[in-house]
Amino acid sequence: MAEKADENHCGSSEYCSPTPSTPMGTPLRRVLDRISGFASPWKRSTTPRGRRIFHRDVEREEFEFATTHCLSSYYSVFVARLAIMVMLAILIGLLTILTWHFTRVYTTKSLNNLAYGLRNELLQRPILRMWNILNSTSEITTVQLKLSEYVFKRYNKPATQAEEVELYEAMRDVTWALFASRKALNAITINYKNGFVQAFHRDHKSNNTFYIYSDLVNYSISASGSNDMNMMSSHQGSNDQSIHGNVSAIWYREPLDPLTGVKIGKAKPIPPDDLIHIAGLPQVPDGVASWHVAVSKSIDSPVLSAALPVWDPSNKSIVAVVGVTTALYSVGQLMKELVEAHSGHIYLTSQEGYLLATSSSTPLLTNSTMGPNLTMAIDSEDPVIKMGARWLQRAFRNNFPPNYEVHEENINLGGDQYYIDSFFLKLKRLPMVGVIIIPRKYIMGKVDERAFKTVVILISASLCILFIGCICILILTNGVSKEMKLRAELISHLDARRRAEASSNYKSQFLANMSHELRTPMAAVIGLLDILICDDCLTNEQYSTVTQIRKCSTALLRLLNNILDLSKVESGKLVLEETEFDLGRELEGLVDMFSVQRINHNVETVLDISDDMPKLVRGDSARVVQIFANLISNSIKFTTSGHIIIRGWCEISNSSVDAEKFPFDQKKSRCAHKMKWKQQGNHMKKACKKDNRMILWFEVDDTGCGIDPSKWESVFESFEQADPSTTRTHGGTGLGLCIVRTLVNKMGGEIKVVKKDGPGTLMRLYLLLRAPVDGIEQNCQVDFAKHNFVVLLALHGRVGRLIMSQWLHKIGVFTLEASEWNELTQILQELFCARKSVHDNGFDAQCSVSEHLKAKLLKIKDMANPVFIIVFDIGLLNLSTDIWKEQLNFLNNYFGKAKFAWMVYHDTSNAIKMELRRKANVLMVNKPLYKAKMIHILEAVIKETNLEQQKKSSNALRITKEGDQHECLEIDATHFDTASSDDSDLFEMGGPNSVKGFHTGEKQREGITKPCSLGYKTINNCLEEFTPVYSKENDSTKRDPCQIRLNSHDAKDEEPKCCTKEASFSIEPQCENAECEGRNLVSSCPTQQGNLYSSKAVNEQKSLEGLRIMLAEDNPVLQRVATIMLEKMGAVVIAVGDGLQAVDSLNCMINAEDCGRESLFEERKTRSQTEIKDSPPYDLILMDCQMPKMDGYEATKIIRKSEVGNGLHIPIVALTAHAMSSDEAKCLEVGMDAYLTKPIDYKMMVSTILSLTKRMA
Amino acid sequence: MDVVVQLQRQLTDHTASLFHEGFLNEQFNQLQQLQDESNPDFVVEVVSLFFEDSERLLNELAKALEQQAVDYKKVDAHVHQLKGSSSSIGAQRVQAVCIPFRNFCEEQNIEGCLKCLQQVKHEYSLVKNKLETLFKLEQQLIAAGGSFPTL
Repeated sequence: MAEKADENHCGSSEYCSPTPSTPMGTPLRRVLDRISGFASPWKRSTTPRGRRIFHRDVEREEFEFATTHCLSSYYSVFVARLAIMVMLAILIGLLTILTWHFTRVYTTKSLNNLAYGLRNELLQRPILRMWNILNSTSEITTVQLKLSEYVFKRYNKPATQAEEVELYEAMRDVTWALFASRKALNAITINYKNGFVQAFHRDHKSNNTFYIYSDLVNYSISASGSNDMNMMSSHQGSNDQSIHGNVSAIWYREPLDPLTGVKIGKAKPIPPDDLIHIAGLPQVPDGVASWHVAVSKSIDSPVLSAALPVWDPSNKSIVAVVGVTTALYSVGQLMKELVEAHSGHIYLTSQEGYLLATSSSTPLLTNSTMGPNLTMAIDSEDPVIKMGARWLQRAFRNNFPPNYEVHEENINLGGDQYYIDSFFLKLKRLPMVGVIIIPRKYIMGKVDERAFKTVVILISASLCILFIGCICILILTNGVSKEMKLRAELISHLDARRRAEASSNYKSQFLANMSHELRTPMAAVIGLLDILICDDCLTNEQYSTVTQIRKCSTALLRLLNNILDLSKVESGKLVLEETEFDLGRELEGLVDMFSVQRINHNVETVLDISDDMPKLVRGDSARVVQIFANLISNSIKFTTSGHIIIRGWCEISNSSVDAEKFPFDQKKSRCAHKMKWKQQGNHMKKACKKDNRMILWFEVDDTGCGIDPSKWESVFESFEQADPSTTRTHGGTGLGLCIVRTLVNKMGGEIKVVKKDGPGTLMRLYLLLRAPVDGIEQNCQVDFAKHNFVVLLALHGRVGRLIMSQWLHKIGVFTLEASEWNELTQILQELFCARKSVHDNGFDAQCSVSEHLKAKLLKIKDMANPVFIIVFDIGLLNLSTDIWKEQLNFLNNYFGKAKFAWMVYHDTSNAIKMELRRKANVLMVNKPLYKAKMIHILEAVIKETNLEQQKKSSNALRITKEGDQHECLEIDATHFDTASSDDSDLFEMGGPNSVKGFHTGEKQREGITKPCSLGYKTINNCLEEFTPVYSKENDSTKRDPCQIRLNSHDAKDEEPKCCTKEASFSIEPQCENAECEGRNLVSSCPTQQGNLYSSKAVNEQKSLEGLRIMLAEDNPVLQRVATIMLEKMGAVVIAVGDGLQAVDSLNCMINAEDCGRESLFEERKTRSQTEIKDSPPYDLILMDCQMPKMDGYEATKIIRKSEVGNGLHIPIVALTAHAMSSDEAKCLEVGMDAYLTKPIDYKMMVSTILSLTKRMA
Repeated sequence: MDVVVQLQRQLTDHTASLFHEGFLNEQFNQLQQLQDESNPDFVVEVVSLFFEDSERLLNELAKALEQQAVDYKKVDAHVHQLKGSSSSIGAQRVQAVCIPFRNFCEEQNIEGCLKCLQQVKHEYSLVKNKLETLFKLEQQLIAAGGSFPTL
């Protein structure tokens, strides 16, 4: 991994290096290396993290996949990062170079132009000076010449010595005038033909002026006048010699005042060595002016001398030579000045290369044996000049450009760079070359420096930018890569989650699929155990063992059901039913059931449902009941003393009603929760309005051990218990609440544990249930207020009593309360004795009743003709001894004055009941008193009073109303025991559950009602006196048992006239029967089950005798097997190959029947023709689900559709190889009644067929 | 009589080995229990039905899998049938192979399908041989005048 990264870097740095900014290569690489350094530990650190995360759930391959995925994303990030950096580097490099280029090149160009001008200027000036000097020299010479000519003309042909002297004197004056006017002149000489010399010389060093002349004596004009020009030219050398070699001639020098020219000193002969250069004839051989550079002894600079011949105007001969000498010193001076101002070097050379003037102070002359000589420029002592000259020589040899102009830049001379420019000064006979050498530093120095600085600054700036840019990129991409990393992690997490969910789904699905397989054997076990228990030949020990096994298996079944329910919900297979049901009644049934089941009498179960609660709601009653059953059983489990209150109210009402409705102390908390859940409530309300749903709130409040607030959420998790130790003391698996929550959520509600003031737990939940379609509830409650009831609640439980009395108070019934025997007796005495005393116009003061009670009693006294009802809890009697009989006798005294309603416990001994009945106290109600029961009591009392009034006019009939009432109430209670126990998982009854196993999970409700109705049927058999109405109702299995109950109740209530009180005794045995009906019901279903098994055992072979079964199965093997199986049991089997055939044969049968061709079915001789006409052609269809042409589902749909018309319903049993509940659901959806899995289990098939066909029978 | 005893023992051993080696399961027992006087050849009948059906299915499977474009739905349906019939007579090893076969069908894995087909064929021929042997033994037993050993 790291290697790869390194390669990457190398590649990128290689890529970088050819970029124009070579100096940036190395830092860039360094930066990149650093980045890679950043990246690699990072990678190293993240990888194990990923490992940690994924290792738990996901398999190794997946994890590896994830890591490689991550790595590749790292690489891509890395490459992107590098690319961005490289681009940045290139960009910055280009910018830098461009900036540098523009700043530098344009400056340089303009500067070069300027520098060129400057150099030109610099060179022009000394040359101009030179030119001036030359000009002035020539000018002077010319003037001298003209003057000399003039003087000679004047003194033409001096004949005498005196004339000659005069001439010379004139010449001297004229020459002096000239000499004096030109300070720059070094000397003016006149060399006469005869060899006489006159000269003025100015010594610049000593600032002396001399007049130099030769000895006049030795010369005569005539002597030398014979010399003609030709001779002169031909004998130049000899003439020259004649002058110089004229040793005999004596030269004199006399100093002059430089200003006036007056002789100031004595003339002295001068040594020949000291003689100045005097131009003579040889200098003008051809008679024209000549230029000459000479070396003077007196000064160290070369001198420029010009010579002109003076012509005799007449004979055209040279009479004298005029020479003017100017020192070139001043040129050198100028050069020096210039150089001082501008630096550099300037020099002038002759064409031959002799130095004429330099800006340096080095001597221009070399002293040789021959005297001072001019030096060559290349031999100059000034190193720069020397090198410059050498370079020029080297560069051009002798091939100078035509005009000798050279402009060269950046010539390296001795380590420095110079500009060299040369100009050619073209003088006749004296061509000169001027050279200027200026160090580059002078002109470009600053520029170069600036340029360098600029470059440095630019580079450093760009480096900085690059660095910062890289860091920015790093940071930026860091974020991006982090995001990418997170995203990758997220993706893998999602993947992992998906897998986890899938696996959990598999689990749930597996469990859901297993439901059938798990429940069936359990059902068998329980059924068989029931048979065993019924067996007489068991010893006591065996019996107890079997009972124990029975209990254990029930517990196991309960657990199984819980798990399966849970998994069903989790796998999303749970489909909630939508049927109308009476919620209040279901809850009452639950409370009844739990009161029976509850062992501990210290705990009272109170049902407090507000009146605004809709009577009928639409929903899955079984599931709702299950929710409350679980909650209540949970509460009971953890509550050792106190109460359990189930409260219910409806959200639709506004809060004002609410406040009135709950006078109990929970008002505050309720308000609080209202605030809390308001929001969701609000938006829920909106939703509810739309589809006619309502929010029903419930609370289950207990005074148990409570739940630690930290566990309030987790108790709803599966297998979670608030306190693990409770498993030991209370048992349970911790599934109950989980199921509750999933169910509540499924119904669109929510459940929470809510803070509560006292000890215990307060569970609050709401459910979203649909209001019934018709919507109108008949709230035609009897107005109890007008009856002047006074209810004396002699009840044990405080809370229940309180709630009841409050409710009664609300509906306008006056109440009194008593919690124990003594209190009751006191009140009774007060009540009735006091009434007497009222009649006696005196109130007994000795009564020690409380003020509150007194006030109440007083109020009662004011009531006109009150009807007293005493709701008496049997628990108030002293049952431990025989005192209760006396107590009853005591109460007997009041029988005439008040109506008694006896609250009995389910385990109240028969002796007491008998005693009560004996005393004609037939209004007995099972213990938990709730509103519905209270209403029943009140209604019963109303009827009784009505009857009493009627009795006075009419005579008695047989059946007592009380008996019916009593019976109804008891049936009511027990019925609910049966119904709700099915899902409550608490009631130890396996019958319904096992039957349910054969049926469906989805249509549990139906499944519940069926066995119940079967149960009723058995009861019917033993209760022969039962009204036919009842059994008829039972037969209509489609109807809700509640409905049945109501109907039967109504049916009886329709005949109130036949009820007499006297006759009540005669139906005592019936009451007895009805009473044990509860027990019967409990055991009847198992018995039924048992019957099923035992009957099978008895005539196993022919259990399906006479049934006609159509088998639709495409698989020949299976078809054969199933056929044989069924035929063995006596059934007639018609096998068809596919769904189409099944439908066809069915249609054909129906048609055939219509045509009256019943004879087709010979085998059904046993049945009468009318039977055939009434019943469907087949008793049952076994339908394979997967068949060619038309599958089972299709076929069933068609069959069911065709049945719509004729009102038939042939049971269809699905045969499927899929044991999944989704298939089950599908089967049931299309209208099948049950389903069997392949391979066919013999027993299962028989039992299923029996259960379906029996129902039809 | 010795022959009968011997045959009976052979038959018992063979049947036991069939169950023991997992060729058959209780379903076969059920079949045998269903056989009685009214249907004396029930097992043979059903099993031969199974043979016919299975051979047809196997042929069709082989044909279907040879196709260029395999119709997996069809294959799946066939395998389903085979599974159903094999489970009905209790040939559980055939049935067991059918399960991965169907999975491969769902995945549309031709190689897996072919492999499974081979396996199914193999298992089928095995169980066929075994059952034929069983029936032969039974016939011999009946021919020898013996009765079936009580299972």
